[in-house]
Amino acid sequence: MGLEFLARVRKTSTWLGGVVALMAATYVAPLLGLAFALGTLWSLANLQLLEQLVVSLSGPESKTPESRRKLGFAVGGMLPLFAAGAVLLVTLSPMALLLGFLLPLAVIVLKAVAQVLLSSRAWATLVHHRFRAALAALALAGVTWLALGALTDATAENVPATQHGASASASPGEPPAAGHAPSAEPAPGEHTPAGEHGTSEAEGEGGGEAFPNIIGMIAGANHGKPWADFLHHYEILVFSLFIALLLGLVAFLASRRPQLVPNGLQNLVETVVEGLSDFITSILGPKHGPRFVPFLGTLFLYILAMNLFGLLPFMHSPTASLNVTVALALTVFVYVQFIGFKELGPLGWLDHMLGSPRDLTGWLIAPLMLPIHLLGELAKPISLSCRLFGNIFGEDMLLVAFASLGVAMLPFQQVPFGIPMHVLFYPLALLGSALQAMVFTVLSSIYILLMLPHEHHDGHGHEAGAQHAH
Amino acid sequence: MDLHAALSLGLPLGIGIAAIGSGIGLGLIGQGAMQAIGRQPEATAKIQLAMIIIAALAEALTIYAFVTMFLLRGKI
Repeated sequence: MGLEFLARVRKTSTWLGGVVALMAATYVAPLLGLAFALGTLWSLANLQLLEQLVVSLSGPESKTPESRRKLGFAVGGMLPLFAAGAVLLVTLSPMALLLGFLLPLAVIVLKAVAQVLLSSRAWATLVHHRFRAALAALALAGVTWLALGALTDATAENVPATQHGASASASPGEPPAAGHAPSAEPAPGEHTPAGEHGTSEAEGEGGGEAFPNIIGMIAGANHGKPWADFLHHYEILVFSLFIALLLGLVAFLASRRPQLVPNGLQNLVETVVEGLSDFITSILGPKHGPRFVPFLGTLFLYILAMNLFGLLPFMHSPTASLNVTVALALTVFVYVQFIGFKELGPLGWLDHMLGSPRDLTGWLIAPLMLPIHLLGELAKPISLSCRLFGNIFGEDMLLVAFASLGVAMLPFQQVPFGIPMHVLFYPLALLGSALQAMVFTVLSSIYILLMLPHEHHDGHGHEAGAQHAH
Repeated sequence: MDLHAALSLGLPLGIGIAAIGSGIGLGLIGQGAMQAIGRQPEATAKIQLAMIIIAALAEALTIYAFVTMFLLRGKI
């Protein structure tokens, strides 16, 4: 029972508190989850300061200036901590705060009981034989199941609103049931249909449900205020700008103090950049490749980050909206045409559009080739944007459908929370996100390759693929 | 058969038909790529790149049907 025990308690409580707070925020009310998380954090900070206090008073190197400084810090830290606790108690739900505060203490008690139990003679005889151990585990699981069932029945009689309201709104035919929420908050479970606070975008993209995201929740809590409506209306832009800022911040931090022997973040970023550079240069050839690495690499990283962003809780993939993907595809389109004009010249561009006629047959079919090429150029941004949007949107819809399936099972099972069915599809979503980002980048680089002056390089395989891309 | 019935019958069916075509196409692409890799394992990277591009193009057709379904879903 040393300091190492306390460190393990801290780790366990952090994880447990985070999970419970997320579940409370999702299934009950966001503010309750916040209160629970803050209570846990407060309790952990309190424990940390207490530990420092005790160590500096009774540790081996007490009476040194170092320990005096630590003592002063611990005592000084207590005051703001208690002030913060008072403020939290006034503003947030005291019940959830108290529960969060008790969580690390409960972890301590349970861990201590487990330590005592594990070293006892009875435990040793129990686990000595494997069949006896399996029987004990089965008995424990059965008792837990029954106890949970009794608990669920009791809570269902007391507060039927939360669970039954949840299962009712999960059924697809229901109108957006925003009225069942017991509190003033929108109480968006993972299953909540995009109700009053989500209809504007949802209708624009065909309606349907979506995971709640943090901006929608903030806007729902401050319904009717101009800034909240503005934020909600442009939430996709806010998310994509945030991702751009995040990527910029990572790049800045990684390249702030470049070292010859990189470590940490710089190492990671250098690996990524080098891999992207090699990849793009292998498509565009060593002559033109390095010029386009910044544009195409940024495109890849940005799209990948946006695709993956939707998998974080309370976040939303900006690429699951046609607005963002069309913007990206138009950027590529304009850039490709610009490259064509710059590299080939206006006449060269026209020549390219005519199919580069060099003999009589070429000139004869040139009037036919011109509309084909023009249509092909116009089809590129449409196919790029629709592919990215459809894949990411479909992925999100799949996750939402399975999450609501897990919630719809609530009445048939004996546990007070839904089964996270959609977790099974996370690997698929990860794969699809990375693949779509790569496909977008590869197709963009092939469009650029087609616009560049044709040389004899080893890219025949890619050109064969690119002909299909029209 | 009114518009609603036609849409609610046709939209899932459309996705299904598109998925059949894409599935056949993806299978053929995968078959060809695997055979090529088996014949020339040293060209794996190039073959995989081309395979992924063409697979994305074949898969996009189903995605178009999917997008169409979501665009028309509001009319059901």
